[in-house]
Amino acid sequence: MPKIEVHEKLFNSLLGKSYSNAQLEEILPVAKAELDGHDPDESLYKIELNDTNRPDLWSTAGLARQLVSYRDKIIAQYDFFSTSEETLDSDGRTLIVHESAKLVRPYSIGFAVTGKVIDEEILLDFIQGQEKLCNNFGRKRKTIAIGVYRSDLITYPVHFEGADPDKAHFVPLHMSEDLTLREICKKHPKGLEFGSIVADSPVFPFLYDDTGAVLSFPPVINSAHIGAVEVGDEHLFFELSGTGLDDLLLAASIIACDCADMGFTILPVRCEFPFDTKYGREITVPYYFQDPVGCELNFLRRTLGENLTGEEIILALRRMGIFAVVDEKMVYVTVPEYRNDFLHPVDIVEDVMIGHGLENFAPELPSDATVGRITEAETFARKVKDIMVGLGYQEMMYNYLGSRREYIENMHVDGSEYIQIANPMSENYEYVRPSIIPSLLESESVSAHAAYPHHIFEVGKVAFLDSTDNSGTTTRNYLGFLSASSEMGFNQLNSVIATIFYYLNHEYVMEDLDDPRFIAGRCGKLLCNGVVVGVFGEVHPAVLESWGITMPTISCEIDLDLLH
Amino acid sequence: MEIDVRNLHPLEIRLLRHVSPGETITAQRLIDELDYNIGHCNQAFSWLVAKGFLEETDRKFRTFFELTPLGYQQLENGTPALRIFNLLKESGPHSLPEIADKLTLEKSDVGSAFGILAKAGSCRMKEGNRAEAITNEAPPEVLIAKVVLAKAASAPLEESLLTKEERAFVAKNSKKRGATASPFKLIEREEVFYKLSESGLEAKKALLKANITGEELGAVTPAILASGAWKQASFRPYSLNTPPARLIPGRKNSYGAYLQWVKDKLCSLGFEEFDGPLVENEFWNGDALFMPQFHSARDIHDVYYLKNPRHAKEIEEPFLHQVAQTHENGWNTGSRGWQYTFDHEFTRRQVMRSQGTVLSAKTLPTAKVPGKYFGVVRCFRYDQVDATHGADFYQTEGIVLGHDVNLKTLLGLLKMFAEEVAGAEEVKYVPGYFPFTEPSIEVHIKHPQLGWFELGGSGIFRPEVTKALGIDVPVLAWGLGIDRMALMHLGLNDLRELFTPNIENVRMRRSN
Repeated sequence: MPKIEVHEKLFNSLLGKSYSNAQLEEILPVAKAELDGHDPDESLYKIELNDTNRPDLWSTAGLARQLVSYRDKIIAQYDFFSTSEETLDSDGRTLIVHESAKLVRPYSIGFAVTGKVIDEEILLDFIQGQEKLCNNFGRKRKTIAIGVYRSDLITYPVHFEGADPDKAHFVPLHMSEDLTLREICKKHPKGLEFGSIVADSPVFPFLYDDTGAVLSFPPVINSAHIGAVEVGDEHLFFELSGTGLDDLLLAASIIACDCADMGFTILPVRCEFPFDTKYGREITVPYYFQDPVGCELNFLRRTLGENLTGEEIILALRRMGIFAVVDEKMVYVTVPEYRNDFLHPVDIVEDVMIGHGLENFAPELPSDATVGRITEAETFARKVKDIMVGLGYQEMMYNYLGSRREYIENMHVDGSEYIQIANPMSENYEYVRPSIIPSLLESESVSAHAAYPHHIFEVGKVAFLDSTDNSGTTTRNYLGFLSASSEMGFNQLNSVIATIFYYLNHEYVMEDLDDPRFIAGRCGKLLCNGVVVGVFGEVHPAVLESWGITMPTISCEIDLDLLH
Repeated sequence: MEIDVRNLHPLEIRLLRHVSPGETITAQRLIDELDYNIGHCNQAFSWLVAKGFLEETDRKFRTFFELTPLGYQQLENGTPALRIFNLLKESGPHSLPEIADKLTLEKSDVGSAFGILAKAGSCRMKEGNRAEAITNEAPPEVLIAKVVLAKAASAPLEESLLTKEERAFVAKNSKKRGATASPFKLIEREEVFYKLSESGLEAKKALLKANITGEELGAVTPAILASGAWKQASFRPYSLNTPPARLIPGRKNSYGAYLQWVKDKLCSLGFEEFDGPLVENEFWNGDALFMPQFHSARDIHDVYYLKNPRHAKEIEEPFLHQVAQTHENGWNTGSRGWQYTFDHEFTRRQVMRSQGTVLSAKTLPTAKVPGKYFGVVRCFRYDQVDATHGADFYQTEGIVLGHDVNLKTLLGLLKMFAEEVAGAEEVKYVPGYFPFTEPSIEVHIKHPQLGWFELGGSGIFRPEVTKALGIDVPVLAWGLGIDRMALMHLGLNDLRELFTPNIENVRMRRSN
């Protein structure tokens, strides 16, 4: 979930007034936002945005826009969008995408802004807005990369092509050396971070103007000259490259609307493609591509449980910044330029809910009568726990992930049937627990200070490989118990097992077992109706030594799923 | 000052009643007069001195001689000197090796014993190195042995009570330590002398006044009950303030007990429990929940993958193609979908279940309508383990299916959880975001102890989730963050403590 830093002065000027922290906490939920912190010295708010489908809210201007709409019931209006019907004049500003780009990154679009001198707050907000869009919405620049340039240094048309990574070269931002694109991937910090996105392509994306002056190597790094935007600049060119046209157009619309809200004039750019896109070969950006969406009133009212009138629905959507009309059956929504998150009519329902105010819906208890019950396995587990507690055992609860040392090396087994994690965070959590016995032994190994005797057990899950299952694994509910004391031995263990099976009402027999975890001749398999349901024995001193245990220890493990 | 004599032990009572002011009290006296053994004496003295009822007046060392196993043997068979004298007297002269052989004695013992006899003039060595007896009787210093050994066999000999001859004999034949080669072992005993103190006298008077004799009954035994002996006796009162010995009972785990309480609570509210395997695949863990396959929460750094087997063999139909189409173009759910090409290999990739909602989704195809379901299930996250993050942890999740469930019933459900499960006084709802619900609601509660916090997330399952799994009614989905309440309930502040292997911590834990 994105977190943004919002500069108080810029935020307040966009909101038209200032708010106390308590007031902000009150109004932010409309944008699914939370005040995460306020630094009065730096005049910064830290705000967390919870909706990963609303990238328009991840900037100061976008967040302010939503709050103002809700407060003042105003729908933001923008006049710089071209549509499928109307193409605005781009005044000679053109971006040409070359055929070669298709081999690495097929789309590039852009637009320019002017009319306002960039101060530090705006510059920081631009940088942050781009980062959030590229990281959270553009999958760390994989699907969206954004560059900002000094447009007064650009001679249109701008060219986007797939260039030879060993021939194309320029001086990247924050460096003084002229490097090829491939060298940038190896030497520049941004090259090391983002170079892998294009590294396997025969050509690398390359953006330059009609004089050959380099703008950037998207999605990696800008040039040190045209690409070095600073406080005091007034004329900017935004370029967005990526893999999906709708996402790029939406990101461009979000930035354009933010710029307009901050007082910039938006200058459209005609983007030319060498192939047919869903909006033609020429798209003038910013471009409004969203289709209108609708929702049946019945569905809306049934979902909300409230018979809202058409007017209430229109007002609720207006407060969300959305223009809507209602007829007998439907509400029709004009999707705001900066949003594209209406996948299903239910997405309209949620905006109506928020716009209408959650406090205006009275909670009602579900009226359907249903029967509550726990699972059979849980019922059985409780029965087993009661028996163990009656036998004087303390119930333990353990983590289900552990290390190779705990589950394999200390147990003197090969672990060939165990489930291994491919991407463990640390070697401490590399295997899924195949048995409760290692967990119990870990307890014993860290509890030598605890008064003896130790009688502990757990009823819990274990999992291991099982080729007969669709997943190749199986999860089982096991009982495991362990006793450690100078008095405990094979005979006492036998008595405990006999008592458990008596109260579980199962006949069992014991058979010899060859298992390195136990002392040979002092361990066995437990069978019910010819099926092995468990193992037991005196834990082998070699195992105890591996765990650093110096108290005689017996242990037993039973597969409860085979018994109930 | 009133002296409480009810808690005195019979050994103390009998001693106090027996002795008079000014008298000297020793262990030997108690042994002789009260039939105590030495252990009783030590107990009674230490308790009474601690209470201030007895005062020490003096202490002396006394030396005793006790028979060793060799001493007992010599008592039975005679000392080597006596046996040698008798042999020579009865069977005539022998060489020393012959003597050693006949009497099965060590040669060195024969040598020293013959030395004693020769020195006393009872034997001599004649020609040919053959020893012979020359008196009729063994010398006194040899004969005395028999008397002293016999005396020592009945009770240790006290040095001061021995005759000069006896003392000389014993001194030659005893050792303090390592006395196996000597017939006597020397023991030094310290004798302590006590007298009754002022308060001891008070206690004695109080005992006499209360008529406490020390003959009162202690433990009630089956024999006492069977014989009826208790009818003629009274019972010794026991101290109420003796610290009790520790017991280690069998117990349920207190976190487990809390989870069980939550489960029972949800059952009482009409919810049926679900459960499932720990290993899931991307299909159920994310795809079925309409999370696009490129969703950031499905990254390598969020979910644990299996090394082997990497993929499930197959995904259940018709759900696979329904879900795949829903992702691609919305299928017939009324959605436009995510507009990308669904990856049929990725969907089979196996993961450790990362969210409880997986089991909510898996329950849908077979769920009853109306129906309420819940699970308290173990989940796995790719998180750095610390006080607020575990590698695996429990999530409490569930669903409500019904023709008439809606936003207002969702709010009602959350209110019910807030009151019944959390004991909250105030409830606040705010819009939330979850990939699989729309609308989505977070519920914040004012907990009586914890103050305001987020109790849980909820919403109505997106039609892309329910329709693709064959459900045509609205489904409320909810999850409760109960671990914070569990920690408070157990008086803990670190999530890792919930699964601690430390036996003593788990034993001592109790709920608030």
